[in-house]
Amino acid sequence: MSETAISITDLHFAYGRHKILDGVNLDVPQGSVFGFLGRNGAGKTTAIQLLLGLLAPQSGRCSVGGHDPQTDAVAVRRAVGYVAEDQRMYDWMRVEQILKWTSSFYPTWDHAYAQQLLRQFDLPPKGKIKTLSKGQNTRLALLLALAHRPRIVILDDPTLGLDPIARKEFLRSVITLLQAQGTTVFFSSHLLYEIEPVADWVAILDRGRIVKAAPTDELRDTIRRFVLRPKASMDLSKIPGVLDVARQDGQWNVTVETAGAETRAALSAAAGDDVEELGLNLDEIFEAYVIGNRGREVAPC
Amino acid sequence: MFIRIEPSSSSPIYRQIMDQIRRQVAAGMLKPGDKVPSVRQLAGQLAVNQNTILKVYNELCREHVLEVDRGNGTIVAQGNSTLSMSDRKKTVAALLREAAVQAIHMGIPPEQTHALLEREYQAILAEKKRSPHHE
Repeated sequence: MSETAISITDLHFAYGRHKILDGVNLDVPQGSVFGFLGRNGAGKTTAIQLLLGLLAPQSGRCSVGGHDPQTDAVAVRRAVGYVAEDQRMYDWMRVEQILKWTSSFYPTWDHAYAQQLLRQFDLPPKGKIKTLSKGQNTRLALLLALAHRPRIVILDDPTLGLDPIARKEFLRSVITLLQAQGTTVFFSSHLLYEIEPVADWVAILDRGRIVKAAPTDELRDTIRRFVLRPKASMDLSKIPGVLDVARQDGQWNVTVETAGAETRAALSAAAGDDVEELGLNLDEIFEAYVIGNRGREVAPC
Repeated sequence: MFIRIEPSSSSPIYRQIMDQIRRQVAAGMLKPGDKVPSVRQLAGQLAVNQNTILKVYNELCREHVLEVDRGNGTIVAQGNSTLSMSDRKKTVAALLREAAVQAIHMGIPPEQTHALLEREYQAILAEKKRSPHHE
């Protein structure tokens, strides 16, 4: 296993009695582009704020670039470029002013690189921040996060509110700028189809837990849906690796995580040869993990 | 090289790209010796992770669809003569086995499966004849 850039161990966080993170474990390999997925309210932003030391966990620990954000938040902030969800910047400043101001916090700030990004992102140096468009705002926030040449970049839903072309441009710049340099990129989104092309790895967070973390290629290769008509009464939830069981007009749709020999044998036992196997698209995969019942709620027939 | 990624497809992105390149070579739209874009270029163009493109190129080199031309990048392989006939047959047999499994699962009888294979083969040959000779 390669070295990890970010590791999270048994992290718990709650606002009062409202549990947000309930034992999160995650390892982000160095140099990877890591997509962090979840529905609205799944806990993505909270997890990211814990990584930066902006919140304190009830228990568990994390390590970002070898530093603990709870005890050494400054070291973490120096190693990391961070763009918050809906990043706010002082809107009375001009672009060149905020560059100068932000640069004073970072000993490793690269002025030449900042100027290069300014041109590449097509930002007006004299423009006031309040006059920038949403897309320009996002690009400016990214510039401020990258110009100190961080080893790790954490982006909280960076493409929220951008149009499809701006989104693609944004992802393209993440790939060409950061991946070439071997920077680790950890970014959250609730759109699986947006994450898939750019991410090496994907983790799905649901109700405060990681329900799946895997290399992106593996997702569509291994997850399968079987359509069958069970012959006799049968508890399909006993089948290993079942994510979701849905019934429709006497047909059963069984979604499984990895369709190994054991699973296939169990399904054949239930329905004989009348088993149809389908691959899933990303929306269906996400759905299977997030609202899949893992076979529990369906009564045996 | 024109490649289109279908996000709603059930096949992974690397396989979509691989299949499209393989098809373009089979149909003669990419000719032996033609240069394909660099990993970085294609990754940027498609907004796809570089490792995905790298995986595609490595896999296609292994299959002798593409080859690395030292100092000149990656090119379409000059014929498939590097593999012995028995190895080539083995590769195709493995793919056909998957197709046969699917055919059995989907209840398509053997003769109809044969007919489907024949039709696809002829379609690609026809496409190859029609494809314009670009320089």
